[in-house]
Amino acid sequence: MGKKIRVLIAKPGLDGHDRGALVISQALRDHGMEVIYTGLRQTPLQIATSAIQEDVDVIGLSSLSGAHRTLFPKVVEELKKRGAGDIPVIGGGIIPSEDIPYLMEKGIKKIFTSGSSTEALAEYIQQLIDPKEKTLTPPKKISHIGIAVKSIDQALSLYTDGFGLQLEGVEEVADEGVKVAFIKIGETRFELLEPIHEQSPIQKFLDTRGEGIHHIALDVDDIKARINYMKKHGITFIHEQPKQGANDSQIAFIHPNSTGKVLFELCQQRTEEEG
Amino acid sequence: MDEERKLEIERWKDKVNEIIERFPERKERFTTSSDIEVERVYGMEESTLPGEYPFTRGIQPTMYRSRFWTMRQYAGFGSAKETNKRFRYLLEQGQTGLSVAFDLPTQIGYDSDDPMAEGEVGKVGVAIDTLEDMEILFDHIPLDKVSTSMTINAPAAVLLCMYIAVGEKQGVPLEKLTGTIQNDILKEYIARGTYIFPPKPSMRLITNIFAFCHQYLPKFNTISISGYHIREAGSNAVQEVAFTIANGMSYVDAAIESGLNVDDFAPRLAFFFNAHNNFFEEIAKFRAARRIWAKIMKEHYKAKNPKSWKLRFHTQTGGSTLTAQQPDNNIVRVTLQALAAVLGGTQSLHTNSRDEALSLPTEESARIALRTQQIIAYESGVADTVDPLGGSYYVEALTDEIEAKVEKYLEHIQELGGAVQAIEAGYMQREIQQNAYEIQKQIERNEEIIVGLNQFTMEEDAEPELLKVDESLEKGQIASLKRVKEKRDNDLVEKRLRVLKEMAKDERENLIPYILDAVKAYASVGEICNVLREEFGEYTGV
Repeated sequence: MGKKIRVLIAKPGLDGHDRGALVISQALRDHGMEVIYTGLRQTPLQIATSAIQEDVDVIGLSSLSGAHRTLFPKVVEELKKRGAGDIPVIGGGIIPSEDIPYLMEKGIKKIFTSGSSTEALAEYIQQLIDPKEKTLTPPKKISHIGIAVKSIDQALSLYTDGFGLQLEGVEEVADEGVKVAFIKIGETRFELLEPIHEQSPIQKFLDTRGEGIHHIALDVDDIKARINYMKKHGITFIHEQPKQGANDSQIAFIHPNSTGKVLFELCQQRTEEEG
Repeated sequence: MDEERKLEIERWKDKVNEIIERFPERKERFTTSSDIEVERVYGMEESTLPGEYPFTRGIQPTMYRSRFWTMRQYAGFGSAKETNKRFRYLLEQGQTGLSVAFDLPTQIGYDSDDPMAEGEVGKVGVAIDTLEDMEILFDHIPLDKVSTSMTINAPAAVLLCMYIAVGEKQGVPLEKLTGTIQNDILKEYIARGTYIFPPKPSMRLITNIFAFCHQYLPKFNTISISGYHIREAGSNAVQEVAFTIANGMSYVDAAIESGLNVDDFAPRLAFFFNAHNNFFEEIAKFRAARRIWAKIMKEHYKAKNPKSWKLRFHTQTGGSTLTAQQPDNNIVRVTLQALAAVLGGTQSLHTNSRDEALSLPTEESARIALRTQQIIAYESGVADTVDPLGGSYYVEALTDEIEAKVEKYLEHIQELGGAVQAIEAGYMQREIQQNAYEIQKQIERNEEIIVGLNQFTMEEDAEPELLKVDESLEKGQIASLKRVKEKRDNDLVEKRLRVLKEMAKDERENLIPYILDAVKAYASVGEICNVLREEFGEYTGV
């Protein structure tokens, strides 16, 4: 284990409600972090100075008095003025959701609103500060867009002749009952999906919805970790374990009931280091 | 039943009949929907009597059969003018008492133009800098007709003096002013955080107020000893009562030490409790608190006046029990909590609004909260008999157990040297924090179910409409303070502040008349508190 994560929990302004700040301090200590609690009535300058002196990895601000719009951004400003703009600042308390975009724009990394669990907070800080231990970077790009077609032969000319894109190859994935045509476009691809037998999911899709966009696939680094993380946040998967996809990739589909009916596929390309 | 007991009940009945003769009950005859006559008190033969020591069953013999509790909604935001508008609206809606919320700079003795006040002006309550703001706040509200509760602690003396000055300008004699100042500094150190001075000079200001009001404002409640914030900070019901009563004893000790007679000030002490979700425990808590306080005042402090024995209290429903998720569910929580307060015999009640986990309440939410009380009062029938749960095996057993547990805590606090020493040692703060952490863990482990939070959750639409405090208000408030400072007699202000500072040096002086002089000259809350800061120093936490 590396060195302990150091957290400054601070109460900016005149608000005296520190139940949340105290509970969070204790919870983070129980998660093995070192927590410095400033006590009440701290000015943004005092908070920034303490953070620098104590060499903390992250600052947590708590306010229930409605002064967050003024005071949270000031803490970020004071940190920047002192060359410590790299210390991430997160916040919580009674904060209407409509204020959150404003605070994010002003450089607050994340807002935890009423009802958030200390567990989620500890996990967030852990990943924010110590990405080596539990990396979970967001998807880097759209891996491909899957389009259901009755016949690749008929559909292909739009892409190759009409758009002038390049066909990379055609492959049959027996497991899924599909034939797939890969068409490269910039960093990403179109995948034309043609069913190869009646039981193919693509055939079912064509029967009920007709031709059209079938799914969007996102490129992820660590598909297992991403599945676990999303499951913890209440998202259901069609594939709870990654399975073999086309091009030697690892894939998993998310259940469309969790995504507003958009079918998403997570996709991890085989990389050489992994071998 | 022995003869003596029978006689006692007869005497009580005679006394009650005399009272009713003069102050009739709400109805001549109370009945249920099936025309069953509702008696005033049930089970008199087997219990103590309401209105009699030790007041387990209530501090009056007829309770809500004579008059409902005072419906008192805490309100205040932005400028004095806006708050005045909300007050007048609430009075029109049938509210029977006012309750002023001040913004944090006012509560901590900073003017709106103080750098420490930045971002906080008018946010959680109304901003008051000088007497002029107070005059606007009570414009067209006759102070001899309403009772006003002010949530103000460290600078309570300043705001009380401003209230007196407004009354004088309206032509209301001092002895006619009714209301309450919170004035409870000990719970600020423990749980609420709006302290200014260290304990010793703070206790002096408090006893100065006791003495002054005894002489000039006999109908004013000089303190509201508050368990509310202790509970909000995370204590359980027993700790709420124990720490509140321990604080109360410290005030009584300080007042006696300053030379007052216990019966001169004890009848004007008021209390303020929370009402949380565990329905029967909350009811038992109120009953136990009354009994404990009565015994302490009579037996320990040897108070002679029965009024000194009575624990009168205000209740507010539990803010920390409200959820930001599915906020309309909060209406139901508030209803249960309010009902517990009524069944526990509260003298006045504030019901929280459904949206308070998100921001200050909108007018609509505040109205539903008030209607909740009105429905309990006028429709449920629970107010038609005194202490309807008295004699319940469960409630009586809980009442006894809470009393026993509170007494244990009180003994321990006495061993530590009393409440002030216990606070300075951080004892109460630690107890509360530990309990708060346990509650959080129980919720996260789903051992404690909060509907809509960790069970029965659902996707929600965007937040409902919330009250927004105008961001330009701070500038406006600063500008009007500047205007007042320009037009007032600044030599007079300086002179009166100088006198106040001199008097602060002598511990035997009562400071209230000098604060009143300064206030009348339009000295600001910040100026007065700064003078006292120079003499008293500042408290910086444990």
